[in-house]
Amino acid sequence: MPGLLLDVQKLETTFKTPEGVVHAVNGVSFDLKEGETLGVVGESGCGKSVTMLSVLRLIPSPPGKIVAGEASFLGKDLLKMSSEDIRHVRGAQISMVFQDPMTSLNPVLTIGRQLTEPLMLHVGMNQKQADARAAELLSMVGIPNSKERLKDYPHQYSGGMRQRVMIAMALSCNPQILIADEPTTALDVTIQAQIIELVKRLRDELGMAVIWITHDLGVVAGLAERVIVMYGGYIIEEAPVKELYANPQHPYTLGLLGSLPRVDEDEGARLFSIEGAPPVLYEKPAACPFAPRCKWAAEKCWKENPVLMNVGPEHKAACFVDTKTGRYRS
Amino acid sequence: MGTYIIRRLLLVPVLLFGVTVLIFGMLQFLSPVERSALYVRDIPKNDNAINGIIKTYGLDQPLYVQYWRWMVGRTDTVTGKRTGGILFGDFGYSRTASTTVNNLILTRFPNTLDLTLWAVVPVISVGIWLGVQAAVHQNGFIDQAARIFSIIGTSFPTFVFGLLMLLIFYANLQWFPPGRLSDWASQIVYSSSFHHYTSLLTIDSLLNGRLDIFWDAMRHMLMPILTLSYISWATFVRVTRSSMLETLRMEYVTTARAKGLPENVVINKHARPNAMLPVVTLAGFQVITLLGGVVITETVFNYPGIGQAAANAAAQLDVITVLGFAIFNGLILILANLVVDVMYAFIDPRVRLS
Ligand SMILES: Nc1ncnc2c1ncn2[C@@H]1O[C@H](COP(=O)(O)OP(=O)(O)O)[C@@H](O)[C@H]1O
Ligand SMILES: [Mg+2]
Repeated sequence: MPGLLLDVQKLETTFKTPEGVVHAVNGVSFDLKEGETLGVVGESGCGKSVTMLSVLRLIPSPPGKIVAGEASFLGKDLLKMSSEDIRHVRGAQISMVFQDPMTSLNPVLTIGRQLTEPLMLHVGMNQKQADARAAELLSMVGIPNSKERLKDYPHQYSGGMRQRVMIAMALSCNPQILIADEPTTALDVTIQAQIIELVKRLRDELGMAVIWITHDLGVVAGLAERVIVMYGGYIIEEAPVKELYANPQHPYTLGLLGSLPRVDEDEGARLFSIEGAPPVLYEKPAACPFAPRCKWAAEKCWKENPVLMNVGPEHKAACFVDTKTGRYRS
Repeated sequence: MGTYIIRRLLLVPVLLFGVTVLIFGMLQFLSPVERSALYVRDIPKNDNAINGIIKTYGLDQPLYVQYWRWMVGRTDTVTGKRTGGILFGDFGYSRTASTTVNNLILTRFPNTLDLTLWAVVPVISVGIWLGVQAAVHQNGFIDQAARIFSIIGTSFPTFVFGLLMLLIFYANLQWFPPGRLSDWASQIVYSSSFHHYTSLLTIDSLLNGRLDIFWDAMRHMLMPILTLSYISWATFVRVTRSSMLETLRMEYVTTARAKGLPENVVINKHARPNAMLPVVTLAGFQVITLLGGVVITETVFNYPGIGQAAANAAAQLDVITVLGFAIFNGLILILANLVVDVMYAFIDPRVRLS
């Protein structure tokens, strides 16, 4: 039985904005086991990034604030430890790769400088050792001529190459957890596949656990063992990946799956796609946040916000209605 | 980097050419008769004299001939001696200063430079520091204070501020004297025992080991320094602050934090260099503001710099002097922009390596 690495409980994060307080994450709980790959899925604005940034306390504050919850990593609560202690977790034990490689590297510092920083900081290497290791890391992520390329600046790298650099940087200190926040969204399709392959390969070589965030359920299929689906700052479904595909329970998940292009179906036979966009919540909703977009929405859905409940072994969903029958779940 | 600077330097003559064409073009708004008056100390009384001048200086010739003459001057056919010629750095004779324009610039400019350096260096360093602090501690005490001062700074003009300083500290409190030096200090400075290494009085007095003269010069300069720096500093704080705030929202700053770097490294090594780019651009623009501010400040405090001389010349329609200053100003602007470009390239590899 692999041990529990990360256990997040009832995480809540808000943002103070001129329009009001945005409830971005509303009591999210999930865990991650050693070596496991967890997919986090949802449309843009569902709170995926804020959840992960909150875990590492990287939320810009102000306006952001973690108002409740805990995130225990190897038994210690990341949300309560000193800022000095969490610094030693960031980049060393839990690292992140962000969505847009064009903006996530510092344009005025060399790739080498940016790569060696965590090595000198966390591993205690001197400049020379760090330079050698950085070149190794670049080769590891498939960048040829790595020694010379350390002297280059981000603008001399293509988007895909920059994302490789980000991955090399994230993995430089052998972290236990890699959080990849839509790392392929900004890249074009062929490069996307390469990056996904790269992360898969490195995960199998290095054995770290991965949290892979995406708005594309298709990407998650070949990558993750377990998936959580987020909507409006809530987790609305959670299941092993095969179970989720075979037996989706929440109308939102159905929608996400339905909007996937499939080879064995022609255009007209697609299930449906969901109209509208996820809400920005200025108050904690009294109803199901998905109800306005849901074609199964029943009376109860407008009166009460469903909590995540067991709908099968290892399968949870937050929905009152059984989409197969259209009736309330018993 | 080297080639970048060389390319920029090659631009300087081109730009200077542009400046002279512009200024020469403006001269054409005057009729030949009016222009003839520019070349002599007293306005000629009769038509013959005027026509003589027009002939000698070729004011009735085609434009390009006139421009050429203006650039290279006029060579006496008998003695072979050249008079005038912008290209040779000869700006002519200043009616109002009773000396050549070159001489005027040579004696006045060091004073202005002295004043400007003391006004600019603290403004830039303190302004940037304050701006960064205000952004890092957004809505904190420094931020609020900077905001209030910034409103004051932008809401009343230089000459009002200068006059206010003059009224309070000079007339009322009599703390600081106007002018350049006290009499006793002047005597020492213009004696042979005082070496003029740089022509900048404050620096020279330090190099001569005369702290007393340094303090005397400073006492005279403090109000002009404050007035001159007053123009720019609020702008510097504001631009640094907003640029820093914007940079702190950048994803690469989050990346830096996600690496586990200490906050001071994130701010000073990752964010600040990027935030400096708009500030460097601003510094380029501020040179123009500063050149204007010098005229006002020196006039208000009767400070013997180039701005005061320019104001004098302009007030008495001494066009030759004004033209000389205009070209000199153009040169300073071009050089300042060169410095700004080089600094920009130094910070930003995207500019340096493109
Ligand atoms: N800096 C911020 N200020 C205000 N609101 C924010 C900020 N960052 C995120 N949010 C809000 O939090 C919600 C979740 O955002 P996010 O986690 O980025 O979504 P995604 O699932 O696309 O990663 C959104 O409604 C967004 O508007
Ligand atoms: Mg996101």
